[in-house]
Amino acid sequence: MKAEIKKILCLLEEKGVDYADVRIVDTVKERITTENLQVQSIVNSRSKGAGIRVIHDGSLGFASTQNLEKLEETAMKALEIAKASRILQKEKIILAKKEVTVDHYETDIEIDPFEISKSDKIELLFSAEKEMRKSAELSQTKATMDFQKQEKIYADTEGSYITQLLYESGGGIVATARNNNLTEIRSYPNSFRGNHATAGYEYILKLDLIGHGEKTGKEAVMLTNAEECPSGVYDIIIGGGQLGLQIHESIGHPVELDRVFGSEAAYAGMSFLGVEKRNENFKYGSEHVTVVMDATIPTALGTYGYDDDGVKATKKTIIDKGIFKNFISSRDTAVKIGQPSDGNNRADEWANIPIVRMSNINLMPGNFEFEELVEGIEDGLHLVTNKSWSIDDKRLNFQFACEIAYEIKDGQFTGKIYRNPIYTGITPQFWGSCDAICNDKYWEVYGTPNCGKGQPGQVAHVAHGSSPARFRKVKVGVEDVK
Amino acid sequence: MLSKKEAYSIIDKTLEHCNYYTMISIDSEEEGLTRFANSEIHQNVFNYNTTVSIKILENKKESKVTTNLLDEKSLEQAVKEAEENLAFLPEGKVKMPHLCEPKEIVSEAYDKEVGIKFDITNRSELLKQGIEQLDDTFIAAGSLSLKKSVLAMGNTKGIRRYARIDSVDFNAVVIHEGGFSGYVEMNTNKADELDVVKEFKVAYDKARLGIDPVSVKPGEYTVILEPLAVGDLLAFMSYIGFAARGVQTGMSFLTGKLGEKVFGENITITDDVSNMNTIPLTFDFEGYEKKKLSIIEKGIAKELAYDVTSAIKDGVETTGHSVGNTSMGGFAFNLVMENGKDNMTDLIKSTKRGLLVTRFHYMNAVDPTKAQLTALTRDGLYLIEDGEIKSGVKNLRFTETMSKAFSNVVGITKERKKVPGFFATNYVPALKIENFHFTGNAE
Repeated sequence: MKAEIKKILCLLEEKGVDYADVRIVDTVKERITTENLQVQSIVNSRSKGAGIRVIHDGSLGFASTQNLEKLEETAMKALEIAKASRILQKEKIILAKKEVTVDHYETDIEIDPFEISKSDKIELLFSAEKEMRKSAELSQTKATMDFQKQEKIYADTEGSYITQLLYESGGGIVATARNNNLTEIRSYPNSFRGNHATAGYEYILKLDLIGHGEKTGKEAVMLTNAEECPSGVYDIIIGGGQLGLQIHESIGHPVELDRVFGSEAAYAGMSFLGVEKRNENFKYGSEHVTVVMDATIPTALGTYGYDDDGVKATKKTIIDKGIFKNFISSRDTAVKIGQPSDGNNRADEWANIPIVRMSNINLMPGNFEFEELVEGIEDGLHLVTNKSWSIDDKRLNFQFACEIAYEIKDGQFTGKIYRNPIYTGITPQFWGSCDAICNDKYWEVYGTPNCGKGQPGQVAHVAHGSSPARFRKVKVGVEDVK
Repeated sequence: MLSKKEAYSIIDKTLEHCNYYTMISIDSEEEGLTRFANSEIHQNVFNYNTTVSIKILENKKESKVTTNLLDEKSLEQAVKEAEENLAFLPEGKVKMPHLCEPKEIVSEAYDKEVGIKFDITNRSELLKQGIEQLDDTFIAAGSLSLKKSVLAMGNTKGIRRYARIDSVDFNAVVIHEGGFSGYVEMNTNKADELDVVKEFKVAYDKARLGIDPVSVKPGEYTVILEPLAVGDLLAFMSYIGFAARGVQTGMSFLTGKLGEKVFGENITITDDVSNMNTIPLTFDFEGYEKKKLSIIEKGIAKELAYDVTSAIKDGVETTGHSVGNTSMGGFAFNLVMENGKDNMTDLIKSTKRGLLVTRFHYMNAVDPTKAQLTALTRDGLYLIEDGEIKSGVKNLRFTETMSKAFSNVVGITKERKKVPGFFATNYVPALKIENFHFTGNAE
């Protein structure tokens, strides 16, 4: 394949392109869902193809094909598209400089998930479902596993040739209870198909879906007897999983440099941050808030060797003690602020163009024990596990719903729970209200395998490290807004 | 694109290797999308992919493998993998039926002009003409894409299905340097229905109408929702509530409400693939003919969307609304909302104080069991006072239950528009709704 790819790149150079790259991606997936102790679905899929990106006279064209015998035809199509782009273009595309690299990267796994039999996987999922049902009358139980193996080749006209072999594993359980027209759910370890990592089957075993089944089932039933969460202003502790999504929506997306430059203006939206904010000591949050982009964390879902610009995965501080420091970028966006790319340009498989995507965007741990967070609350709530999310197109006004809220009074849990807790806020004010973050003992990485962006729509697999954190005077609920 | 003959040839070749009842599905899509921002093209892409899904039903077992490797050896290997899976798959509760009739459903008619009018070069030229209308204080962003889709199916019982749909999608936001923006979005399978330059003008006019927007406090307002905003609500209600599976699991807001009044008497919603303003895919992803559904009739919840699995559970026949995902059950995506007698001018004139909404952003279900939705307004929110549009308004977040909103509809336009839904196109009027609950400012 290497010779064929080089032939295509040489051909494009002869045609006068400024730059071109070829990516060949071969992805195998397995997705198992059991429901009510039956297999709801097992889907095995494979998708292989090539994407060719061309910059000609400063204009971009991209074409892809599943037929690897048609690389030349596809390259010519990409060139034709680049020439058509010239019709409506003001500024020529320039790429930030990078190192020419020849390398191979592999996810470090202990157990190949595709070597484990489907019957063993199904048995584990059934066992977890049985645990949920053990001591609770549930209307539905569900358990899931997702696996992915992806082989990638990247080559460009600058001389880089990079191969990668990436594995992903994920799993989760959901209990649903009904009582008096109320239907409530509890999930473990996170909602929307659980938690996910760049890892092998050992990750599934570590999740211990069976061990968490009983508590998950019990809480779903308890929620059907719980009161609706009250509306008001409260001090809250947000659990790690929910906080992961909070980081995703209100820090990860606003710091994507392509959004700042308007690339997503008509679709995913832009950002409340302008490029000038990087030099203004902009206060993004309190002094407790330090956020680091790190695409090298072992097993995190957003970890890889190189992005789809062929730039090595790296680590960079986004927010330092509350002060905004850096965006995440690609070669074509980084050059506009005079920086090298930090390796966050990624495409959804082979058929899409790479765009700026989060890798692992992490809220760094603080120094607090969880008990200390609770002790500091007179009247508040501990909110856990995301149920729904929404944020405006500038990433300022967010509203999240969680599965459950645990009541805190006078520094202690009262034992009372609430259903349907909602909290809402404005990004910088919210992060500015953070006054305590749990220490590294509580720090976990939460994979988000469903991050949507771009036209045509692309899905990225990213992650967020976090530990529970406390926020003061947060608006909870909406019923009191008159 | 795959012709009927080519698609059937792949199906025939694959079925030759099958030893059980098997359904082959071919999903083929070609898309050329030109994307622009800051009034210039920044992404311009082409993609073509054909995937083949092999689904085997044997006794109470079901096995499915999907691949885009289309050479005969790879397809044979995929069949082998699907058949080998049967050995260790546990049995389900019921034996899934084998599709035996009608023998063939074909829809080969598509508007060839779509592919010509919106080819690679023409897309750039049309966008250039549209953007040239804007003065220097405005910029535009959006996309124009040409999509050619084929869905073909065939099984070991001799069933064959084929549908080709060519369509074009366009969206554009025109943004003033002060930040206020106007928006248009359209998708159609008819070339003469989309005038890109004219649509740009609409977005431009909307942006100019709202320069120097004011802030208003959250609270309950009379709103006039333009068709894009109505379409957002309708599509989301379908996603969380119009499927039988949602009622079976208790997650739908229509659980226990069939036959009951859930909306105002002036609300009638059907799912009607025969309506030419929706996308004409007349069979579903299990190969069944799509039936017309009366989902809401004069405010009363009547019928739900079924796939085979959810239909078996309720002891009824599928309505042909599978989207190939059992966890979703049926999905109604040819939604048609009955129109009224009003026009937009009258709706505005009759409003003492209210808000005119162009579209919503990032909608989600806060509580699907109550159809409580939240989203923000975007790209064109206006204040109406004393029957006139007074100014633009800075964006707001709403959090509202749909049973309340659709029981408070006091005006429905006669004119309806095609609006994009989750999978296809819906056809809806504009609505005037009282006491719509806005719960926060966007900034």
